Amino acid sequence: MSAPVLTEQAVPPVAPAVARRSWFAYLRQPSAALSVLVLVVMVALALLAPVIADEPAGAGPDVLQPPSGAHWFGTDDLGQDIFAQVVWGTRTSLVIGLAASLIAIVLGTAIGLASAYFRPIDAVATVVTDVMLALPTLPLMIMLAAVVNPSLWTLTLIIGFFAWPEVARLIRSQGLVISAMPYIDGARVLGASGWRIVTREILPAVVSLVIVSVLLTASRAVISEAGLSFLGLGDPDAWSWGRILLNAQRSGVVAIAWWQTLFPSVAILLLVLAATVAGMRFNDTRDPRRNGA
Amino acid sequence: MARFVLSRALKAVLTVWIAITSTFFLLRLLPGDPTTLMVEGDMTPEMQAALLKTYGLDRPLWEQYVSYLRELVQGNLGISFRQIQPVVDIIVDRLPWTLLLAGTAFVVTVAVGIPIGVAAAVNRGRWLDRALQALGIGGHALFVPSVAMLLLVFLGARLGWFPIGGAIDPDTRGAAAYLSLAHHLVLPVLSLVLVQLGPYALTLRTNMIEVLGEDYIRAAQARGLSARRRVWKHGLRNAILPALTLMGLQLGTLVGGAVLTETVFAYPGVGRLIFEAVGQQDYPVLQGAFIMLAVTVVFANALTDMFYAVLNPRIRL
Repeated sequence: MSAPVLTEQAVPPVAPAVARRSWFAYLRQPSAALSVLVLVVMVALALLAPVIADEPAGAGPDVLQPPSGAHWFGTDDLGQDIFAQVVWGTRTSLVIGLAASLIAIVLGTAIGLASAYFRPIDAVATVVTDVMLALPTLPLMIMLAAVVNPSLWTLTLIIGFFAWPEVARLIRSQGLVISAMPYIDGARVLGASGWRIVTREILPAVVSLVIVSVLLTASRAVISEAGLSFLGLGDPDAWSWGRILLNAQRSGVVAIAWWQTLFPSVAILLLVLAATVAGMRFNDTRDPRRNGA
Repeated sequence: MARFVLSRALKAVLTVWIAITSTFFLLRLLPGDPTTLMVEGDMTPEMQAALLKTYGLDRPLWEQYVSYLRELVQGNLGISFRQIQPVVDIIVDRLPWTLLLAGTAFVVTVAVGIPIGVAAAVNRGRWLDRALQALGIGGHALFVPSVAMLLLVFLGARLGWFPIGGAIDPDTRGAAAYLSLAHHLVLPVLSLVLVQLGPYALTLRTNMIEVLGEDYIRAAQARGLSARRRVWKHGLRNAILPALTLMGLQLGTLVGGAVLTETVFAYPGVGRLIFEAVGQQDYPVLQGAFIMLAVTVVFANALTDMFYAVLNPRIRL
C-alpha cells in the first residue's frame, strides 16, 4: 500500500549557493549515492540494450533452461533469453516511467499552483483532485487502456493522466504556505499580475519539491506500467517486465521456471526502490532542519 | 451525527456520479470507441446499423448518456459482449470474493500494523524501528504480482503448503469447506499484506512518535499513569486516527492490488473477471467492474470517515 512518502510540510526556499553545497551533501549519503548509481546503470542498460543483447524474437532451441553461463537469467518456454527480455524491458519501464511522470508533473504542478493562488480555481480543482484520489485507479486505467490500441504512447498518456492528483495535492499544500508569505503580498502591492506571481515567485519556491515529485511519480508510473502489461494491456511490440511476468503466468510453467518470475521482479524492485530512495533523500537534503543549513 | 452522515453520503454519491459521467464521455470520445470496437469487419452496413440500434449506439451522445444513467440507477450495467448475460449478474457473483480478499487483507494489515508501529515508536532507533523504516520504504517498491507469483512458486508449488489457485475445494462440505476457504485465502491475502504492511506501520509509528510528545501524554505521566496505559490508551487512540484516514484513502490501491493478486491465483473475484474481460475485449464488463469497484471503494471510504468521527474525541456530533 502506498502511503505518502512525503509529509506535506512547509519548507522555506533554498538559496542557490546552498543548493550547490547540498548536491554534494546529497551524494555523500550512501543510500542516495547507491540509488543514483542504480538509476545510472538502468539508464545505461536501456540506452545500450541493442549492444548488450539481441532483441528477443522467435523460438530458440534451449527451452526452460535454468540460469547458466550461456543464459544468465535462464530461458522461457519458447527458448527466449530472459536476460535479453529484462534488458529490453528496462527501455519500456524507463521511457513510460519518465514520460508519464513528466505529464503528471506538468499537470499537477500547474493545477496545484493555480489552486494555491487563485481561490475560485481551488474550489473546482480540490473537488476534481478528491474525486480522482477516491477512485480505484487501476481498474480505471484498465478500462481505458482496453479500449484504445495499446502502444507506448497511449499507456504513457493514460498513466500520466491519472498520476497528477497526488502531485497537485503536494504542490498545492506547499504553494498555500508560500502564498501566505509577506513577499507575495509585497509583489502584489507592487502591481505584479497573478500569472507573474505564480510563475516567478511561487514556482521557484516549490521547484525542489517538483524534482522530488518527478522521481516519486516516476516510480509509481513504473509500477502502473508493469501492472497494465501484466494484465495484457502493454504494447505488444515492446518488451516489458510486466509482460515477462504475464508470459510466465500464461505458459503455466511458473512452478518450474522460477527464474522467469524472479529476475523481472528484482528489476522492478531495484528501479522503483532506487527512484523512491533518491527522491526521499533529495527531500531530506532540501530540508534545512535536517542538514543544518 | 445524522447531518454529518448525510453530507458524507452525499459527497460519496457525487464522487460516484462524477466518475461515471466522466468515464462515459471519455470512453465515447476516445479514438477506439465502443461503436467501432463492437462492429466486426465482415459485417454488411445494414447489419452494423442494426447492431448499433440494438445497443442504442445510433442515438445522440446526450440521449445515450441520459438513458445510460437511468438504466444505471435501476441497477442495469448493460449486457456482456461475450457471455450473453447482464453485467450486473456477472459482477455480483464475483464481488463477494473480492470483498473477502480485500477485507481480510485490510483487517490483517491493521491488526499486525498497529502493534508493530507502536512498538517501533516506543523503541525508537532500535532494530525493530530500523527494520520498519526499511520495510516502509521497501513496501512502495514491491510489485503485487511479483510478490504473489514468488509466494505461489515457493510456498505453493515447491513446498506445497498452500493451494496455488482457486478459492475453495468444491468437494468439501461443512467445516471442511470453511477450512478449505481459509487455506486458499492465505497466499492471496499474504501478497497484499506484505505490500501494505510496511508503509502502514511506518505511518502509524510516525504519528505515534508525534502524539507521545504531546502535552497530554506528559500530563498523563505526571498523573502517574503507567507507561503501558499512556501508550496504548491515550497515545494509540490519537495516533490511530490519521492512520485510519490514510487506510481509507488507500482502499483504491488495495482494490487495485486485489485485481492483480486474483489474476495470479485465479481467485474468482472481480479482479480475475477484469483480467478475463481484457482478454475477451468485453468492454461492458470492464466498465461495469470499474463502476462497482468505484462504488465499493467510495462508500467504504465514507464509512471510514464516519468511524473516524465516532472515534475522534475532538469531534462531538
